[in-house]
Amino acid sequence: MSDGQWSPSTGQIVVSGLTKEYKNVRAVDNLSFTVEPGRVTGFLGPNGAGKTTTLRMLLNLVTPTSGTATIGGRRYADLTDPLRHVGAVLEASSAHKGRTGINHLRVICAAAGLPKQRADEALALVGLTPAAKRKFKGYSLGMKQRLGIAAAMLGDPRVLILDEPANGLDPEGIRWMRGFLKGLAHEGRTILVSSHLLSEMQLLADDVVIIAAGQLVRQGPVEQVIGSMAQGQRVRVRTPNAEELTTALKAQSATVAVDEHGVLQVDGVDAPTVGRTALAAGVELHELTTERPDLERVFLELTAGKAGIR
Amino acid sequence: MKLVRSELLKIRTTNTWWIFALIMLPLWALTLGINWLQTDALAAGNTEGVPPEQIDQVRALMDQDALAANLYTNGQLFGLLIVMLLGVVVVTSEFFHQTVTTTFLTAPHRTAVMAAKLVAAAALGLVFWLLFTLLNIPAGAAILGSVDVGPQLGSGAVWRAIALNGLAYLLWAILGVGLGVLIRSQIGATVTGILLYLGGTIGAITVLSLLANRFGEWINKLQLLVPSLASSLMVSGVEIPGNPPRWAGAAVLIGYAAVAGAIGVLTIRRRDIS
Ligand SMILES: Nc1ncnc2c1ncn2[C@@H]1O[C@H](COP(=O)(O)OP(=O)(O)OP(=O)(O)O)[C@@H](O)[C@H]1O
Ligand SMILES: [Mg+2]
Repeated sequence: MSDGQWSPSTGQIVVSGLTKEYKNVRAVDNLSFTVEPGRVTGFLGPNGAGKTTTLRMLLNLVTPTSGTATIGGRRYADLTDPLRHVGAVLEASSAHKGRTGINHLRVICAAAGLPKQRADEALALVGLTPAAKRKFKGYSLGMKQRLGIAAAMLGDPRVLILDEPANGLDPEGIRWMRGFLKGLAHEGRTILVSSHLLSEMQLLADDVVIIAAGQLVRQGPVEQVIGSMAQGQRVRVRTPNAEELTTALKAQSATVAVDEHGVLQVDGVDAPTVGRTALAAGVELHELTTERPDLERVFLELTAGKAGIR
Repeated sequence: MKLVRSELLKIRTTNTWWIFALIMLPLWALTLGINWLQTDALAAGNTEGVPPEQIDQVRALMDQDALAANLYTNGQLFGLLIVMLLGVVVVTSEFFHQTVTTTFLTAPHRTAVMAAKLVAAAALGLVFWLLFTLLNIPAGAAILGSVDVGPQLGSGAVWRAIALNGLAYLLWAILGVGLGVLIRSQIGATVTGILLYLGGTIGAITVLSLLANRFGEWINKLQLLVPSLASSLMVSGVEIPGNPPRWAGAAVLIGYAAVAGAIGVLTIRRRDIS
């Protein structure tokens, strides 16, 4: 409650012991994590993991059963002029269907005490100027999503929170958003973005917070989370003498599996070892590649068995 | 103040209010026609066929001030309904279009948001009242002229009735906001509002007169507790014998509006927006 906690340079998000119980389900279960400024943090979890509920508690839309969530040291409800500090994009379809895009933004400006021309600037920022005077019901999914981002940017906030913003964006739009969010993080802003698109997250995020069934599964820089997987690297080998090589590799205590295309998947030894073993056994190789585990594999492994939909 | 401006902008940037106003025009014309006939009959001063126990009431209605007040507040029955529905929409459209998330992100102090909505709805109610009064005054004066009664615009009682009519519009808009919070669904709240307003009024009259037959006349005084009857009492222009005084109608309505507003604010403060 102490004032002055907010310093312009910190946009750190701290979630601590956050819990939300609905009638039949504990949507968020004693969840704690931090989100650092200057980085894009991906917030990942299976359907029903509690991502949206967590973000809504962070934004004072849903009351936590227990625990706290602060932005720059303050609860959202205690921020004066919240839009100047925090921007949020929650649902794609959150504008009155009969209102034009520009008027939607002007209504928000009026309530936040922002000058009217911020509406035009924000529309230009997301490339929606040509559709400014069209009604919201005539917007495509991607245009709605962009309007949501424009609304979040009205107050030029230091912290940006997005719930599945890539929904409905075309490849060009997704690339645009990636550059946009990375640019904002580069300026020192805090970006927290939930998503299911793991390959996209791998390109976008610096850090990840992974939750399942309302609980924290893993938090940290993307590289570190991927690297932390016990299994580590896997080597792909293509050879006409699969059986001989398999026998030779097993002697090196590697585990070998064959996929549907006849490619060997070798775990437990690295690529140079496989090459040396092949040479010693006089086996011909057509392909030898190291497969780094990607975010998707790590995610699936980490959340395996933790029921998604509850 | 920022929030009130925003709420008014919300209303102005959608079609709802002028569609409602357009719906009102034919209804206004209809009630004006009915009031014309009634004025014509009452001004003739003919009390033949009126049961003796109602003669005092009818005499009161024949008063020139009462005739004028009735005309200048013409359209109240539907006007209040429409204003209440606008109040309902001020709240329910936020849930219907899921804009409530944005609204509360912009202003996390929900009490302030609801207060702004109440003020904006009340203002809208007054706009409708002004619109109808501006239509009623020339039309009413013309009708009064046609039955050889002056426009009565110098009469304090007439202006009091017009002002109380404004109060009724304002209060019904607030009632609508409260109803909208309690029943978030746009359709649900609208239908409930219409049923309560029209059905409730007729139902209450029927039930009360049945009870009055059994338990005595005093039960009829309970009419006052039915919001729409209380508001029509407010604008009668003169005290009608056997009816509760006008200020009581105003007090009852203010009470309902205060309760509706308070329930609306308290409910929305605690609700999860998900
Ligand atoms: N208002 C509510 N009432 C009851 N249960 C709810 C409510 N909102 C969410 N839940 C439940 O809480 C759990 C978490 O939901 P939440 O929407 O936070 O998940 P999510 O991680 O955002 O999922 P998704 O990836 O599908 O968007 C789910 O089991 C859901 O059914
Ligand atoms: Mg979600």
